[in-house]
Amino acid sequence: TFSFLRSFVGGKALTKEDMDKAVSSMREHLLRKNVAQEAANEILRTVEVSLIGHKTGTFESINNVVRAAVESAIRKILTPTSSLDLLREIHTKRTKGSRPYVISIVGVNGVGKSTNLSKICFFLLQNKFKVLIAACDTFRSGAVEQLRVHARNLKELSEREGGVVELYEKGYGKDAANIAKDAVTYAEQSGFDVVLIDTAGRRHNDQRLMSSLEKFAKFAMPDKIFMVGEALVGTDSVAQARNFNAAFGIGRRLDGFIISKCDTVGDMVRTCPLFNSQQCHTNNPG
Amino acid sequence: MVLADLGKRITSAVSNLTHSNVVDEKALDAMLKEICAALVEADVNIKLVANLRKSIRHTVNFKELGAGVNKKRLIQKAVFDELVKLVDPHNEPFKPKKGRSNVIMFVGLQGAGKTTSCTKLARYYQARGFKACLVCADTFRAGAFDQLKQNATKAKIPYYGTYTEVDPVKVARDGVEKFKKERFDIIIVDTSGRHQQERELFAEMVQIQAAVKPDQTIMVLDSSIGQAAEAQSKAFKESADFGAIIITKTDGHAAGGGAISAVAATRTPIVFIGTGEHLLDLERFQPQAFISKLLGMGDMAGLVEH
Ligand SMILES: Nc1nc2c(ncn2[C@@H]2O[C@H](COP(=O)(O)OP(=O)(O)OP(=O)(O)O)[C@@H](O)[C@H]2O)c(=O)[nH]1
Ligand SMILES: Nc1nc2c(ncn2[C@@H]2O[C@H](COP(=O)(O)OP(=O)(O)OP(=O)(O)O)[C@@H](O)[C@H]2O)c(=O)[nH]1
Ligand SMILES: [Mg+2]
Ligand SMILES: [Mg+2]
Repeated sequence: TFSFLRSFVGGKALTKEDMDKAVSSMREHLLRKNVAQEAANEILRTVEVSLIGHKTGTFESINNVVRAAVESAIRKILTPTSSLDLLREIHTKRTKGSRPYVISIVGVNGVGKSTNLSKICFFLLQNKFKVLIAACDTFRSGAVEQLRVHARNLKELSEREGGVVELYEKGYGKDAANIAKDAVTYAEQSGFDVVLIDTAGRRHNDQRLMSSLEKFAKFAMPDKIFMVGEALVGTDSVAQARNFNAAFGIGRRLDGFIISKCDTVGDMVRTCPLFNSQQCHTNNPG
Repeated sequence: MVLADLGKRITSAVSNLTHSNVVDEKALDAMLKEICAALVEADVNIKLVANLRKSIRHTVNFKELGAGVNKKRLIQKAVFDELVKLVDPHNEPFKPKKGRSNVIMFVGLQGAGKTTSCTKLARYYQARGFKACLVCADTFRAGAFDQLKQNATKAKIPYYGTYTEVDPVKVARDGVEKFKKERFDIIIVDTSGRHQQERELFAEMVQIQAAVKPDQTIMVLDSSIGQAAEAQSKAFKESADFGAIIITKTDGHAAGGGAISAVAATRTPIVFIGTGEHLLDLERFQPQAFISKLLGMGDMAGLVEH
């Protein structure tokens, strides 16, 4: 008859067994919300460890204790370890020398790289920067024309908003790293502030395409490399982030994630809390 | 898809159980726990996983098993059947016929692989003697028509589209009418990516469908999709009543459980899978063969024959 009280622990030191039920229902909850199993397990493991021996207040339910601990663990994961103030960084770099600030966007196929690149461009134009978009997806049909349309629309906007935008394109079939390098050189000569480099989508388990990213990073020397991950993705998110993070050679990692298509998942989420990278943008429609 | 990992885990869970001396409730629970964990990790919808567990437990009811029943055999078969149920809705997909126009319309979420897959499918039919063509009814995405045009040109497939008309319903209708007059066997209509949260986009899809009256509507799903697969595919099913599914990017690392869950959620068969970015990277899908491949040739091999 007192079984409902069992989930309350007045002033007792918590043991792992006390938490079992609350932890497994929390796991179920996270999985339903599309958190990768690997990530959910990792979060819950740290929470358990941190709570063992923890003295609860009177009539505090274990569920609440666990929930609060999970909440704060997730908050910690999502809080960037370094601050990201793109505008300030670009300004600083521009006052130091002639090389433009270079941002490249990477990710698996169809996640929204080119679209988000255009959104970032819009943001930079609003801040009156001179932006060069480099069309370095030389593989997927229509990739260059897609950016051409975006650049044309952005040009119209820039007439209203300020800033300057131009597209650097060399068609299809050529080596992306070379085009990226040439684009940066061109941008430097022509006084652009920022170069935004679009890249072809690639599977993170494709050795050949992933290894070409190392040369790409060497040639383009990006100040920032952002990976676009879509909110729709399932467990694969963890491996995507891990493999892209490791693809740029020794000493070069991802600088952040852009989470796209947040408007398509309702109340679900997708995070990859295994990296110390920051989530710099989330995308809602518009 | 890295089915190998999932298959190995399931196979070894089953064989651990069947090789142990005592096959009791506890052993069964341990096996189910492992199988369910493997499925969840593969993005199979969590409700479906719970149902699968329940079903197997129901089939393998120790209390009611008569003497002489081969428990091990029963468990193996229950697991196999439940897995097949996930990918085999027992619904025959539409089969196009030569000598008349078969209109096929593609729908799906943004970036799923529709445009790429519709060219692959057109080429597939063309190679089998059908007169196939493509209509680009995506007037929204930047560069959509160029993408389809370049793909179609590479594959030497006639196409229809426009840079100026913004109404996808009109483009779709005009394109299909034109190609019907020209007596094409297979007319494939590509549409923009959309999602259930945007009502207007769904309404537009319904209008395009009303305009072209497809013989078959195909939903394209990315194999890396997670738990959102069920809700989205159900919403597409309700609005567009698609009759077949194509799962794309199976050359990727994802296990594909999310996309597979869409099959169970909508009782719709997978007809093809996309296995790469190139024109020829398209394979027919067979549920039984898929599951036997999934489970490898180990202990489960004998069960595949039924
Ligand atoms: N709903 C929604 N759709 C998006 C979002 N971002 C991008 N998309 C759509 O996703 C589709 C793919 O976007 P792209 O920007 O072409 O993706 P990509 O990563 O460049 O694709 P590839 O270059 O082919 O690998 C397009 O239909 C976009 O309109 C978003 O935040 N929400
Ligand atoms: N690796 C791999 N990539 C694929 C496959 N199918 C499509 N893609 C890639 O996925 C990306 C998106 O494909 P699209 O055909 O443009 O997708 P879509 O559904 O038409 O996109 P929207 O029209 O923007 O909604 C492109 O980069 C394709 O090359 C596949 O089977 N394997
Ligand atoms: Mg792109
Ligand atoms: Mg498309």
